[in-house]
Amino acid sequence: MTFTATIRVFPKSEVRDPQGEAVRGALRSLGMAVSDVRTGKEIVVTFEAADQAAAEDAVARMGRELLANPVIEQYEFSLNKGVPV
Amino acid sequence: MTRVAILRYPGTWSERDFQHALSLVPGVESDILWHEDADLAGYDAAVVPGGFTYGDYVRAGAIAKISPATRELRRFADAGNLVLGSCNGFQILCEAGLLPGALVRNRGLEFRCDWVHLRVESDDTLWTTGLRGAVLRMPIAHGEGCWVGDDETLADVESRGQVVFRYTDERGGATAAANPNGSLANIAGVCNEGRNVVGLMPHPERCSEALLGGTDGYRVLANLGPALAGTAPAIYR
Repeated sequence: MTFTATIRVFPKSEVRDPQGEAVRGALRSLGMAVSDVRTGKEIVVTFEAADQAAAEDAVARMGRELLANPVIEQYEFSLNKGVPV
Repeated sequence: MTRVAILRYPGTWSERDFQHALSLVPGVESDILWHEDADLAGYDAAVVPGGFTYGDYVRAGAIAKISPATRELRRFADAGNLVLGSCNGFQILCEAGLLPGALVRNRGLEFRCDWVHLRVESDDTLWTTGLRGAVLRMPIAHGEGCWVGDDETLADVESRGQVVFRYTDERGGATAAANPNGSLANIAGVCNEGRNVVGLMPHPERCSEALLGGTDGYRVLANLGPALAGTAPAIYR
């Protein structure tokens, strides 16, 4: 069964995000009342798994072992059947 | 002879500099090992040099940590053998969980290529034998060298003496101005609890002979030569 996972990786709230701070400054310089910006990345993975539960386990392992570093980052994901639209 | 393995991953770029610097230390010989077939049996120490392994994709060091060489390195380190990681090598060791904390984007977002001073905080590692309190001058070249850890990790590395190097001014003062990348507590290098694995962002291999503008890196690497603990021969000072 083909699944597509969209994994979003963000710095943990207690970790400074200098890129987010730079973006915040830039948005403020556009005259916008921006109080906070956090930057992260989105990774889209298409893969095969036996069923929904196996797919969720697989994505959790991708996040834990490679895509996010638990020391500094958190991740969340959404999972859909099929290929990306 | 002390035998040193220098690991080379795709994108490693400081392996030959390390080999050259180590060739200056009497009693040390080194080999460069390709990551796919790195076998550390028979070596006394392993070095993970700087570079941009796998293009720093995902995070600096993140993909290298799942290479066969890093598995071998973990086995080697767990057995108590000596490991040194510099720059990207430090990032790989943190990613692999062999050292505490993580290295993130420099606070100022700039790539820093400069000379810095660092104070040796602990001589409880072989690499820093006899150097406690010394202020060393070494080059850095990194965009992601800001060492961070959560409050507990920071408290642990401080209380357990795992901070090995701290960025300071030339007189040894750990000021904010002397911190090139925003690292917590000016931390430039740490070791594991076993004291056999050490990582630092600066490049000891690039300051190991006077021709390169400094010899303080030699004082670290010379500790691999059993007879030399802590001091460089006069010619390198």
